[in-house]
Amino acid sequence: MAMKVVALAGNPNVGKTTVFNSLTGMRQHVGNWPGVTVEKKEGVFEYKGEKFLVVDLPGTYSLTAHSIDELVARNFLLNGNPDVVVNVVDATSLLRNLLLTMEIFEMGLKNVVIALNKIDLAEKKGIRIDPLKMSKALGVPVVAMSAKEGIGIEELKDKIYEMAQGRIKTNPVVPRYDPEVEREIEHITNSLKGTKLERRYPLRWLAIKLLQRDDEVMKLVLRHIGEERLREIMTHIGEAEARYGRAMDLIIASQKYEFIDRLTHEFMSYVGKEKESLTDQLDRILIHPVYGFIALAMVFYAVFKFIFALGLPLQEWLDGLFASFGEWLAPQIANETLRGLLVDGIIGGVGSVLSFFPLVFLLFFALSILEDVGYMARVAALMEGIMRKFGLPGKSVIPLVLGLGCNVPAVMATRTLEDERERLVTMLVSPFIPCSARLSVISFLAGAFFGSNHSIVALSVYLIAILVALLSAWLVGRFVVKGEESPFVIELPEYLIPSWKTVVTHSWERSKEFVKKAGTIILLGAIAIWYLSNYPVEIGSGKSYAEKLGYLFEPYMRLMGLDWKAAVSLLFGIIAKENVISTYGVIYGTTEAIKNAMTPLQAYVLAVVTTLYIPCIATIGAIRAESNWKWALFTTAYMIAVASIVGILIWHAGVALGLA
Amino acid sequence: MLMIVPLSSLKPGERGIVVNLQGGPGFRNRVLGMGIAPGAVVQVVEAYNPGPMVISVSGTRFAVGRGMASRILVRKL
Repeated sequence: MAMKVVALAGNPNVGKTTVFNSLTGMRQHVGNWPGVTVEKKEGVFEYKGEKFLVVDLPGTYSLTAHSIDELVARNFLLNGNPDVVVNVVDATSLLRNLLLTMEIFEMGLKNVVIALNKIDLAEKKGIRIDPLKMSKALGVPVVAMSAKEGIGIEELKDKIYEMAQGRIKTNPVVPRYDPEVEREIEHITNSLKGTKLERRYPLRWLAIKLLQRDDEVMKLVLRHIGEERLREIMTHIGEAEARYGRAMDLIIASQKYEFIDRLTHEFMSYVGKEKESLTDQLDRILIHPVYGFIALAMVFYAVFKFIFALGLPLQEWLDGLFASFGEWLAPQIANETLRGLLVDGIIGGVGSVLSFFPLVFLLFFALSILEDVGYMARVAALMEGIMRKFGLPGKSVIPLVLGLGCNVPAVMATRTLEDERERLVTMLVSPFIPCSARLSVISFLAGAFFGSNHSIVALSVYLIAILVALLSAWLVGRFVVKGEESPFVIELPEYLIPSWKTVVTHSWERSKEFVKKAGTIILLGAIAIWYLSNYPVEIGSGKSYAEKLGYLFEPYMRLMGLDWKAAVSLLFGIIAKENVISTYGVIYGTTEAIKNAMTPLQAYVLAVVTTLYIPCIATIGAIRAESNWKWALFTTAYMIAVASIVGILIWHAGVALGLA
Repeated sequence: MLMIVPLSSLKPGERGIVVNLQGGPGFRNRVLGMGIAPGAVVQVVEAYNPGPMVISVSGTRFAVGRGMASRILVRKL
């Protein structure tokens, strides 16, 4: 028998994830909604012998067509045929939460259960809510609960079960607007009557969405009634707006708000005055323009230490493990080709995929904690002013700083950005941030060629890279991923101690997804490089395909004062940036020999170009996993172009200054 | 007396009723969804300069950019 489908809807920060976890336990799966990068979580629970599939919809404040999250949630509610919709609302902020509830009711959904979460917190704040009266006022069952404390979960399951069995009759309350608005609604519904739309959607909902000039609904209606009739409707709406002197979406929102305000008087009351909370006191430090930055630097330091001090040794250890496995395996295989492919290509490739697992897991672990504690919103508030100058949101500082350690977690960390466009821009420029692998190249070249000035030289490379990243963000945001800048307003949820189970489950599922998605490309890259360096003759002979490619690119490299050896080294750097130096070692015999083969200016150009020229294969894989091939290739091409331009500029400036 | 001012001009501790939002559909949608609709009471909790304003609407705290706060018109209470 098919499972009953339960959709979980609610605002952000209402504890929806905690409700989801309490319902499904560890039996869940994280993926993406088809075609978009919005996270989709599904889980299963059993109650009285009946199995339920719980679908966690993206947390949204409303269900308009303005963001992908909201569209995903709305489309599922409209077309996903959920048997029961659980609307999780925050008892400490009921007025606002019920705005979404009203939208759900207006969509004509009848099988709705309200999960009145954080009831214990509301009590503490002096907010009294009577669930029975609330249920009567709303016309659907209300379950008072505290998912965090495990209160009310069984009752919620029971209500879901009863509703799925068809044993609960509901009568959801729908907001009534003033006569003028209601006349408009009637005018529109009359025009839509008799069309195929009537069978699939509640006409009242379509009418309200048209009044709000919802793009998606306008397109939908256009397909059914044609341009002329739609234009007639829109003109009619325009006339009404002219009479009011303001836009219809404002009128509807304010009347809906008033309606909810009156409604809540029937079941909600305040006792005592709102005191200053611990959250307010903490925020006075954490958002403060001086103390806030000090706190942020400390948090960054701690997160950095946690991810990289713990993750990098684990990564090396896993790398070593696979290397010794390869060494052990090699003598057992007689066929040379097979041995090479297996040991250098496949085992090497799989090894490098899995070696990223600890880093990615620790990253998601740290990010989940910052997110669940509520600190992320403060970072956004604090950094907004500075990052916005480059067209980036405040929160983008987190992926960018993490990029200093490794670009793969940086790309993954862009998930914390809600706005799809800003997320993409941040993702595309984050590979410019010099990671620790590039630090090894920069510091080797600076140390070998610049003696006592090495730290200033190394620092200048970092500054160039960061400048390039920020300028690129501005350029990409303006000319490539165009769109409206999202206005800055963010909820500052109360600080909470995170639930460990949620944090661990979430990080584990996310890291698994990374290995699955980025794994293939890393593996293929490793095999390709193995092939190029071993055929037809091994590298070092000057006859391998890799070296032949180097010769081919020599004229291009000359433009920035470099030779074919640099081309070969950079090719190998695609696998991992630290390979740039070791490849030189292979070609020259020793790394020491490099010192005699280049001038300081050439070394500097090489350091800058290595830093900027291409994301490593793992980062490309991560970008593909987080967006699609198009953007992964765009970043690659863009970075090659930028590195070439900067390299050529530096070389020629250096020559002109007589530094060659 | 009716005193309609931008939210950004309120000082910490002061309250106002939202009367209008000046901005495009994207802006309005974002703000309306968060319960900052005409009729809602907004209290300024903290105003940092440079930095955002912290406001309280129906029990929830929000950080709002200066630019946005100047597009939310309120009647000072």
